[in-house]
Amino acid sequence: MSKFVDRPRYTCTLGGALATLRAIPRAIPIIHASAGCGHNLHNAINPGGGYLGGGYCGGLSLPSSNVTERDIVFGGENRLREQIKTTLEVMDGDIYLVLTGCMVEMIGDDLDAVVSEFSDYDKPVLPVHTPSFRGNSFTGYELVLSSLIRKYVKKQSKIPGNVNILGIVPAQDPFWQGNLKEIKRLLEKLGLKVNTLFGEGEGLESIRNAGSASLNIVVSDTYGITAARTFEEVHGIPYITTGLPIGAEATGNFLRAVSDALSIDKTLTEFVIAQEELIYYSYLERLADIYNDIDLQRYAVVVADANYAPALSKFLSDELGWLPELVVITDLLEESQKYILLERFKNYQSGLTPVVKFDTDASSIKKYLAEIRPPNRNQRYYDSFSPAVILGSVYERDIAGEFGFPLLTVSFPVTNRVVLNRSYVGTNGALSLAEDLLGLLVAGR
Amino acid sequence: MNYLEAISAPARENRLRANIAFGGTCGDIKGCLKKGCFSGNGCLNLAGRRFSQTQGCQFTLSLAILNTLRNAVVIMHSPIGCGTCTISNVGVNKTFKQLRDPNSEGIIWLSTNLDEADVISGGERKLREAVLFADKEFRPETIIVANGCVPSLIGDDIDSIISDLQNQTAATIVPIHCEGFKTKVMATAYDAVYHGILKKLVKKPERQRYLVNDDVEALKESYKIGRNVNVFNVGSMSRADELELKRLLNALGLNVTFIPCYAEPEDFQYSLESSLNISICGTHDDYFLEHIKEKYDIPFIIDTMPIGRKNTDRWLLKIAAHFGLENEARKLIETENAELDKCLESFRETLKGKRAFISGGEVRILATAEILQDLGMKLVGFKAHHFDEFIEPVFDALENVDDVVFDVATNQPFEQANLLKRIKADILITHTGGNNILAKIGLPILPLFGPAYNYLGYSGVFEVARRLNRVIRNGQFNKQLSLHTKLPYKEEWYKKDPFTYIVEQDAV
Repeated sequence: MSKFVDRPRYTCTLGGALATLRAIPRAIPIIHASAGCGHNLHNAINPGGGYLGGGYCGGLSLPSSNVTERDIVFGGENRLREQIKTTLEVMDGDIYLVLTGCMVEMIGDDLDAVVSEFSDYDKPVLPVHTPSFRGNSFTGYELVLSSLIRKYVKKQSKIPGNVNILGIVPAQDPFWQGNLKEIKRLLEKLGLKVNTLFGEGEGLESIRNAGSASLNIVVSDTYGITAARTFEEVHGIPYITTGLPIGAEATGNFLRAVSDALSIDKTLTEFVIAQEELIYYSYLERLADIYNDIDLQRYAVVVADANYAPALSKFLSDELGWLPELVVITDLLEESQKYILLERFKNYQSGLTPVVKFDTDASSIKKYLAEIRPPNRNQRYYDSFSPAVILGSVYERDIAGEFGFPLLTVSFPVTNRVVLNRSYVGTNGALSLAEDLLGLLVAGR
Repeated sequence: MNYLEAISAPARENRLRANIAFGGTCGDIKGCLKKGCFSGNGCLNLAGRRFSQTQGCQFTLSLAILNTLRNAVVIMHSPIGCGTCTISNVGVNKTFKQLRDPNSEGIIWLSTNLDEADVISGGERKLREAVLFADKEFRPETIIVANGCVPSLIGDDIDSIISDLQNQTAATIVPIHCEGFKTKVMATAYDAVYHGILKKLVKKPERQRYLVNDDVEALKESYKIGRNVNVFNVGSMSRADELELKRLLNALGLNVTFIPCYAEPEDFQYSLESSLNISICGTHDDYFLEHIKEKYDIPFIIDTMPIGRKNTDRWLLKIAAHFGLENEARKLIETENAELDKCLESFRETLKGKRAFISGGEVRILATAEILQDLGMKLVGFKAHHFDEFIEPVFDALENVDDVVFDVATNQPFEQANLLKRIKADILITHTGGNNILAKIGLPILPLFGPAYNYLGYSGVFEVARRLNRVIRNGQFNKQLSLHTKLPYKEEWYKKDPFTYIVEQDAV
């Protein structure tokens, strides 16, 4: 039984679907919903994703049936039929996906029947049921992908060495493009042909040809798994889940996991890992002076989604040598998902065990902070939780300001920075993360 | 006007016969006004489009006011997505609130997160939990419950739930019925918000009274009230705009209170101790002002928007006339104009003859156009979100616009993209949102409004001129974008009449 959410860090199913389609060049969504849905969601996704922008067909250019009371009373199918027909006249796309909002699903408009009338059109027109009450952005990502996997991805024979990447949700991960690029770079070093489905160098053809993969790599314990299972069911492609790799150690483990699953020569894998570590530490070594000269070790609070939270916490603890004492995972999760995530916080090399909370509410963070470190009751000697840094979303700005902790925004919504091709995963991403975190600390020097 | 017995405000297509789809010229529009096409018999008010793009709804626009209220928590009673557009002003909003009160909190909002089970069994439980949590956790003065489409369709009796909860909370709970599917005219949002405010927040303030009647104090009080005016701000105004209007009205000896945006809930009570309500935009305020007139007998002025010299002159004179201060106002206007006019000269040199296309709210685009004519620029096109009777007084300040294209469209950037293939423009003045498309046309853009910039009053004219001059000096960013990106419309679309998809629908 779900509850209300204090300042949600995701939009709805339709929002996730729109953000996912935003990542596919020349894909045209057709929204069958009230007039405000697309507009509202664009105004969440664009700023929340570090100013993602509307893309080719985004923002206020999204075709939408804009149903009103009359359509809700008499049914919206005629309006939808008209909107699809005219969209095909006006909008220049390579694939058209018809998405639904709450109202038309509640009144029972027959989406599939109306869309099937357009099966003769020379570009594919596909239906995806995405009413908001069915889940959040992450659900939207899974639904759009599953729909494409079932209806659009070509059935073809597997090519050894071809892999797809799943689990990084566009916009919901503001660094999705940079992150996918870095994952691709790393895996290509193992000799793989990597299809990230979205992002640099990918397009609709990448999705069409995703059926040739011999393995799906889900870089998440939580997201992309439904899509991976659909791939398995429809195209017979197995999958592994790895979690998001941040830092040299996590990258090494990630490469080893992929290499094991594909039986890649271990010598090659270890050679690649050694090479990455060499480069990584040639940069990180530069911090030896300042880190130790002025004591740049910090307590840390991580407030993030199920992908970032465990990965950031582990990186902070085991590579940056910080003390991530409190981790709040802000997604709506099942008990079984929480159980898997909790495993990620065990066996840190530092010996630390962060306090991990699952909580969707922005106002809860302060309470947990008071729990892990009882407040100063005017005692003369008080072991305070400082100096500390918060890694979170823009919602954590208030608490950061109140306690005087620097804040790095990494998790949706990120409205206080512009994100283009920056990455926080792999070895290159971890270097950017170190730059940004320590950059906060030397900003006044 | 009295709609307060009803649960929610009526849709503007019914109350004002407003139109959202029309293509023609300013001359056509004026003709329509004369014939009563829009306000009287409403012959164009059911027009729509066979092809449409997403356009915003009364829920999203309601938040433009609701999210500014200080000391309030907003509850989005809906599935998780509704109202997430709040993310777009989560940061700036706090800053703007703090310009009014340095201790203000940022926006706090909750979503009742209605899911599939709630759609079947009703959202009452979650709404109750959210309201009680908000009251206990944040101790706000007001809890606003804005409901989306879903609770309306599943039949949640929100007003009853709220009356029941009111006994359990310290905060005043204000229901705002702003479900998006109820209206085609996004601006119905203003009525929806005012409807809730009128019902729950507007009441005579409780004042301590003197034990003994003191004539002098009574005179002082009535003197004070006789010079108090409320100016109705809009979410797109800046603090600098407010300070400019305040400066001008102070010069006439009037005390100014700004509501509704960035107001404290209690301000609506004190606003009744006032002798005149002044709108800067009829589209925004008529519902509230008419109700206050009827219930509390406070007169109001709805006329033009004080953007541009002529409009500001006219706005000031209307107010001055109410207080018998026309001579004083004329002096003020003369001084202000003389100084400003001189300072615009250098901008006129660079801007003269530049062709501008303006899009946004009906009143604001026409008011802003006056500044452009003042600077010697040429108006080549308008696109208005919607169209109703409140546009009429704003035409007066413009010269020779009868042949200028006038498109009525709530967003719908495809129509403007087509128009801009036919109409040569040098600069676009645009509402936020559509710039994803318009920037790629390659022209420099000045935002039509910005809550961090001054547009209103005399200082606003100078600021707009100064910024236009800057924007037009280097348009490389959008120009380069246009060379390297493509708009999502087919070539055939540009060959069609831009108003092809507008249809006059039959009434039901």
